[in-house]
Amino acid sequence: MFIFGQLSVFFQQIFILIANPINVLILFGAVLLGIIFGAMPGLTATLGVALLATLTYGMDTSTSLIALLSIYVGAIYGGSYASILINIPGTAAAAATALDGYPLACQGKAGKALGLTTTASAIGTFIGMLFVITMAPLISAFALNFTSFEFFLLAFFGIIISGTLTSHDLAYKGWIAGFLGLFMACVGRDQLQFYPRFTFGLNELDGGLEVVPVLIGAFGIPQIIQVLKDKIICGKAKRVQKILPEFTEIIHHFPDIMRSALIGVGIGAVPGIGEDIAGWVSYGAAKNSSKHPERFGKGEISAVISTETANNACIGGAMIPLLSLGIPGSPPAAMLLGAFMLHGIQPGPMLTFDRPLFIFQVSAILLLASFAMWVTGMLLAKQVIKVLRIPHPLFMPIIAVLCVIGSYSLGLRIFNLYLMVPVGILAYFLTEMEYPIAPLVIGVILGPMADANLRRALMVSKGSFLPIITRPVSLILVLVILLTVLSQTRWYKTLTKKIVKKLFAKKKNK
Amino acid sequence: MKKKELRRADFITSVLLLLFSVWIIMETLKMPMKDTFGGVQNVWYVSPALFPLIISIVIMVLAAVLLINSINSGGAKYFINNFSVRYRGISEKKFRFISILLALLSFVYLNIPRIDFFISIVLFLTFFISVFYFDEENLLKKLTLFYFTGSIIFISLFAFGISKFLNSYYQYFMDVLALFFFTIYVLYSWINVRNSQIYRKRLTISLLVAVAVPLILCPIFRYFLLVPLPKEGLIIQMMHNIYYFLK
Repeated sequence: MFIFGQLSVFFQQIFILIANPINVLILFGAVLLGIIFGAMPGLTATLGVALLATLTYGMDTSTSLIALLSIYVGAIYGGSYASILINIPGTAAAAATALDGYPLACQGKAGKALGLTTTASAIGTFIGMLFVITMAPLISAFALNFTSFEFFLLAFFGIIISGTLTSHDLAYKGWIAGFLGLFMACVGRDQLQFYPRFTFGLNELDGGLEVVPVLIGAFGIPQIIQVLKDKIICGKAKRVQKILPEFTEIIHHFPDIMRSALIGVGIGAVPGIGEDIAGWVSYGAAKNSSKHPERFGKGEISAVISTETANNACIGGAMIPLLSLGIPGSPPAAMLLGAFMLHGIQPGPMLTFDRPLFIFQVSAILLLASFAMWVTGMLLAKQVIKVLRIPHPLFMPIIAVLCVIGSYSLGLRIFNLYLMVPVGILAYFLTEMEYPIAPLVIGVILGPMADANLRRALMVSKGSFLPIITRPVSLILVLVILLTVLSQTRWYKTLTKKIVKKLFAKKKNK
Repeated sequence: MKKKELRRADFITSVLLLLFSVWIIMETLKMPMKDTFGGVQNVWYVSPALFPLIISIVIMVLAAVLLINSINSGGAKYFINNFSVRYRGISEKKFRFISILLALLSFVYLNIPRIDFFISIVLFLTFFISVFYFDEENLLKKLTLFYFTGSIIFISLFAFGISKFLNSYYQYFMDVLALFFFTIYVLYSWINVRNSQIYRKRLTISLLVAVAVPLILCPIFRYFLLVPLPKEGLIIQMMHNIYYFLK
């Protein structure tokens, strides 16, 4: 009965959303915009969500949610266009798709590849949605047991995990980025005593750094600098024939789709890990489980399906920690969190009490967005491809103007722009030196929560840090943090190698 | 970035991070720890200094680890061996970076707060699009230097209060001056590209985009999203007059 009750609420939400024709228009419009953003190399899903967040500020919450989630879904899928047709990933999420997508296009199968990736992306988003609706309330209910110590540790947990997994160079560079983000969150008057910290006497800094301009700066400016500085030039797009896939083919690849969707959801649920990693892991898993691994890299359909299913399923996965714990699962989800905050929505364990229908609403929108994405992909793919012909020097400066006007319009403060540019330049240099940006952003977002909860927790314990190890959840978090940190040390690596060697040696002797 | 250069960069950033963490600690020590603030007797664990102090210590430790790694992997040695104050010229890539910075910084810090928003966008886009769309090193350098000179003149006008004096005669004098600079910039670009049909076409496209974007964006933000624009001067005022006349 409980499940039927939940299902009826879910379908109610769908009908409420589609009953308004403007919502339907925004749904399809935002998905199309997302596909265009994803398809254009240099523009990312995060940037798309960031720019739209500023435009949806004046809209009501459900309409803005439709716009933001639709652009997110559309952009992750749209990345496959450039990967398949010009061998340049439209977004980092579609990087793995290019390995087999482009060879397929060279074989004259671009239409087939696009049709299959469109369907696979829609199924991936749908499966991700199923996990949101089932897992998010469960984790929220579990997280209700969290006290201030757990919330403080959660911020550290997010930074350490995402820092370790997103850093391409040394793991602690990711941690440094995260702690720099936490420092940035300290700027302004503190929440408990209203004491001005690091404000340099500037009244504009009293309220702290506004999250959205900082995020726009961190994601937008480095992108603009990189694309124009490194002269990314697009090749000529391959021709596209019939796009509608044969359903027997989809059924044939169903195991690939299911495996990749589960990988996508799992990776998405880890804080700060984006769709790009989901794509690569899924690609590796598909290759390992394939009967013909030698075909990978030469135009294997199952490879393209796997990566595209995984990166879209990752959206649902990223929404789970975002909705239940208030920790973004991916960089676009971090941007979504900023947008939620603008609309007065505070994701976390209390979300199911403050807004009992919110998770259903998000799930309903994800379902509608996956449908809209499939329809738009099938009908407009040949038209969307034309945007790949626009040269970068024409659209990147326009994106810069949108970043500026978007950051300004949020608080009508020119000071937001004064912040956005240095944050963007700092983020650019950090990216150049291979510091990941996701932990920095997570730090900026979770900093205030960590600060206030640490002091609240110590007030309750009268200055004792003992509850960190006496409370089971916080102990688990501490152990995971310590283990992750220790796993990066040399002696830990040699120790595990020795243990593994001994274990295998024993097995061999037996 | 190559591995060697990356380690050199690690060496420099680790030193900067160490200094930065020391600065945070010094700042946090100025915050109330056990003293009274706002009539409230403080205890160390409620102090606003606690969290930044923890962060600064962690950053310091991580920076030290980064420093040790950069020394062990030869980053420090590479930095010292290649340290030279000799001027080696600016590569095209670096010049492109300088042009991007010039465009962004002049747009945000110089033009937006002082010049009509519409004109600011037109100026920014004309420069930003044209220098990269031409895709020619010589033109990039010439146009960047020209725009830089113009920006310096504008900075001087604002810094020495000349703009106020000029605006006292006609309130949109600086906007007119910005439009004049835009015209001169277009003319200068035209002179430089007049012999090439492709470049002439690119300049025309740049100008069209530079004017079309604010023509679409400004009314959307001003009248649809009801966002007052940062500086409403000559053109925005004209836009108001047309909008309210039509309404």
